[in-house]
Amino acid sequence: MKQPSFHIIKPLLLSGERSASRWFSFVGLGIGVLLLLLAQQLFIDIQALVKQTSIRKNGFDYISVTKQITNDNMGRDNRFSSTDLDTLRQQPFIQGAAPLISNRFEVVATAGDQIPFASDIFLEALETDFIDTVPPNFNWQPDQPIVPLIFSSDFLEMYNVFAPSYGLPQLSMETASNVIIGLRCEGQKGAQVFRGQIVAFSDRINSLLVPKSFMDWANETLEGLPSANASRVYLKTLDANSPDLLNFLAQKNYRVNKEKTAFGRSKQILQGVIAGLGIFGVLVVALALLLFSFYLQLMVARSRDNLQLLLILGYRPDWLSRQVARRFVPVYFVVVAVALGVTQLLQYLFHQVIMFNRPELSSWLDPSIWITAGVLIGLSIATNWRMVRKLLYGIS
Amino acid sequence: MLQIDRIQPSFFEASACTHSELWLQRIDVEPGERIQIQAPSGSGKTSLTHFLYGIRKEYVGNIRYDQVDARSMDADAWADLRREKLAIVFQDMRLFAEPTLRTNFEIKRQLTHQHPETVIEQWSRRLGIDHRLDTPAKLCSYGEQQRASIIRALLQPFCWLLLDEPFSHLDDANAKKAMDLILEESERQGAAVLLADLEIVPQYPRTRLLRLLA
Repeated sequence: MKQPSFHIIKPLLLSGERSASRWFSFVGLGIGVLLLLLAQQLFIDIQALVKQTSIRKNGFDYISVTKQITNDNMGRDNRFSSTDLDTLRQQPFIQGAAPLISNRFEVVATAGDQIPFASDIFLEALETDFIDTVPPNFNWQPDQPIVPLIFSSDFLEMYNVFAPSYGLPQLSMETASNVIIGLRCEGQKGAQVFRGQIVAFSDRINSLLVPKSFMDWANETLEGLPSANASRVYLKTLDANSPDLLNFLAQKNYRVNKEKTAFGRSKQILQGVIAGLGIFGVLVVALALLLFSFYLQLMVARSRDNLQLLLILGYRPDWLSRQVARRFVPVYFVVVAVALGVTQLLQYLFHQVIMFNRPELSSWLDPSIWITAGVLIGLSIATNWRMVRKLLYGIS
Repeated sequence: MLQIDRIQPSFFEASACTHSELWLQRIDVEPGERIQIQAPSGSGKTSLTHFLYGIRKEYVGNIRYDQVDARSMDADAWADLRREKLAIVFQDMRLFAEPTLRTNFEIKRQLTHQHPETVIEQWSRRLGIDHRLDTPAKLCSYGEQQRASIIRALLQPFCWLLLDEPFSHLDDANAKKAMDLILEESERQGAAVLLADLEIVPQYPRTRLLRLLA
């Protein structure tokens, strides 16, 4: 069946065409979409920027506590006993506590022939759940010659600061991971040499970590003693800044490593602000769509007699609503495309001018931004079409 | 076939319909029939036309088009029926006021393309309104609007043509021309015509007369 031409009936629907509310709604929609896309892109940028320094894992904060060393308790055993650990674990604001177990045997590390470096070091072990970066090969079994190590990224930074003064080469994370470290372990019951390899770097834990299985085995085999009480304990908590937690720790005279917690909090606050911006964008989009629906209602109300007569003459409400809705599709495309263009421009400037030395960022929009833009166009068209359809069926 | 099955306006007292030849009667309208419905003012003539055209529903009883109950039809089904099978000349003409007569015709003609564009000129000339084709409808006289309303109704395919006082603003000569055009086109399409008027229209070659209030 040949379809009627919309061209001939178009003038009948133009009453109220120049309505200011239509233009307000388009501008509002543009601003809302821009805010939404910007918030999403900024959120992604922040994720990329702080990805390597996050202290949060699975929604928890991880902090390390030690006993405060004062003149009064100096010389006493300031390690955490199993009773201390149980008390910590019983607190409602602490979701887990894991001791940082130390070696009881001596360890000398050498870096091979290429880097003439040897030093007494200490090793520690921690439950893997409390470590931020745990590669799958971070485990050890007896007879395994290579011991995987997780190295503090702060230690590497310190090493790179003093290395040139000692004639040692500075190392990148990649190079350090390729260096085979000789580990000579010697205790009361014997000595053994292992080869150590850095498999990951930790931002959270300032230590040289080995798998717990290695630590337990070496303490027992080389020193003949079980792993000793720890002087440092890691706590898993929902909020490291919770007043209850801080009061409890102060009361117990425990010292907290707050620096990284503060960083984690800043990131959270920043993400909160961005999320707020995104929610604001969603609200503006919703308001703009609402305003546009008012405009459509006004248009239909003003053209009511003409629309009613068209329906009486045999024009299908289904066809009419599609024709009316279709007229605004190019406008939606333009509005969202402009917002997308501005977001792209701002992201480009942000990366090229402000964050020019951050290779983890991209000058181009994340693909998810394009998807969001597409969804917004689809949403606008669908809302629009449903509204017109409802209004037309209402008057037919 | 159109079946008017014992309908009665719901706003009428039952006693007002007892002597009617249409209200509360079963009427089957066969193809090609020419029915005259004669009804004095206030007897529900326009209401009947609107019931049959589906723009008012305050009646009891049933109206069926090709066995389909009119009440069960949705807005799109009514649009299909009005586009393909059911034509009407309203008593109050109902033209688009701002557009010209030509545009008014095109709005109807382009729905089905039943007739070529040239028919508009041809029929307008026959009914004497060709000089007003490019005049906005609101500037035309009632007589001109009524003739335009008749032409618009004929610009579609139809099985049933409803006429509600179609000649009320026309002199006898113009009414005759309009009647001839209506009969010619309805015969060509094999359609039934239902003409409702205050009085019996003598020039209408009716096959049946129904008095709304006998």
